[in-house]
Amino acid sequence: MSLLSKIVTWARIKSPWIIHFNSGACNACDIEIVASLTPRFDIERFGIILKGTPRHADVLVCSGPVTRQIKDRLIRIYEQMPEPKFVVAVGTCSCSGGVFQGCYNVCGGIDTVIPVSAYIPGCPASPAAIIDGVAKLLGSLQGKKPGEKADIEAIERKLLEAEITTNG
Amino acid sequence: MSALSVILVFLGYFLLLSFLGTAAEYIDRKLYARMQNRIGPPWFQPYADLIKLAAKEDLIPEEANSAMFKFMPVLAMTAVLTAYLHIPLWNSTPLISFNGSIIVIVYLLTIPTLTFFLGGWHSTSLYSMIGAVRTLTQLFAYEVPLLLAVLSPAVLAHTWSIADMSEFYSNNPLYALTNSIGFLVALVALQGKLERVPFDMPEAETEIVGGTFTEYSGRLLAMFRLAIDMEVIVGASLIAAVFLPFGLHFGLVIGVILYLIKILFILLLLALLRTVTARLRIEQMVVFCWKYLAPAALAQIFISLTLNWIVK
Repeated sequence: MSLLSKIVTWARIKSPWIIHFNSGACNACDIEIVASLTPRFDIERFGIILKGTPRHADVLVCSGPVTRQIKDRLIRIYEQMPEPKFVVAVGTCSCSGGVFQGCYNVCGGIDTVIPVSAYIPGCPASPAAIIDGVAKLLGSLQGKKPGEKADIEAIERKLLEAEITTNG
Repeated sequence: MSALSVILVFLGYFLLLSFLGTAAEYIDRKLYARMQNRIGPPWFQPYADLIKLAAKEDLIPEEANSAMFKFMPVLAMTAVLTAYLHIPLWNSTPLISFNGSIIVIVYLLTIPTLTFFLGGWHSTSLYSMIGAVRTLTQLFAYEVPLLLAVLSPAVLAHTWSIADMSEFYSNNPLYALTNSIGFLVALVALQGKLERVPFDMPEAETEIVGGTFTEYSGRLLAMFRLAIDMEVIVGASLIAAVFLPFGLHFGLVIGVILYLIKILFILLLLALLRTVTARLRIEQMVVFCWKYLAPAALAQIFISLTLNWIVK
């Protein structure tokens, strides 16, 4: 890794801006995501800021299974984000579809529609688990070559191996 | 001055101002966090943000006017930097000084706001257009109180040159105390100019996504952010030069330390204002500016004129 790419990777790890998207959740995970943004958890320590627009964001935080209604919107939001971008699935439903698996109106987990970099299970996932999941996703960036497109599948594999199930 | 030295001076000021601006952003965010009983971001946060944005993909909307879209962040930075050249820092002589420079500074500081408007307008996104229109509406609210507040010390000093003003007030420091209403008005108006809470309607992310900057990403957004950081320093320097012209004759070292203390004091007041207030609606802001801020600035001018008359 050259010095420049090291600096860029460092900057990416230190300044993840997130955008929150509800892809059909029951709102429990959304409340937990919002709770993790409060001063109590102070995620600005890690440089995390909630942004309103996908153009500014690096990490798309999704909650809930993808309903057929929201599928196109989710893809559109994902495509509006500039590279490099990452997706975090928060909650059991967004990881796999959860209890809604096989429902007529549900496509399944987030990864049936867009590539996912980190899975944070839990019903709902607690704020500590969400922050830990995002921190682990960023830690996994250090190994990969920046400047190229994120090798999401490799990160996925790595993260699944690490099993980020710090649900507490 | 030869062309090369002009370029070198401009580059030096650019580096100085970017350093001060990023430091100001850190101090502001840290103060804001500490006032909310948080720990807050680490010292390198502004640099991490800027480097990350610079390394991101630049997306330009298909509908947008691409030339204007790309040009606006550069123009914003240039205007802020040019305004900085006219402001006295640690002594009473700025780099460029002429009679009328204070008006030039205020108008140069209007250009960034106009670039926010034009950048948002030429993004041709609904949210950025609403943000752009709000930016302009806001401009008409805070610009007049700011101008009146900054000009009333000039009335007392009988000069339109900011260098002569600093000279006058540092020779007669008691006169500077009579400008305290104008100081407060200028602080509130500066908060509006910088589009910070409670006057952040143009980028209100909870209602209009990202406001003027909705469509900006990557390098262009980084430039806009840097321009806003610089504007904080330039605005604070302007207020420090006009309303706090103390200790300008103690040489370079003490002068620089005093300058930094003044800037820190103004940053503290701005952060405090940001912490204790919530966002207003756009019409509440316009009403507030014209009903309370503008009359207060007029009262300040009245005080200056009366003093002029008494002293004469």
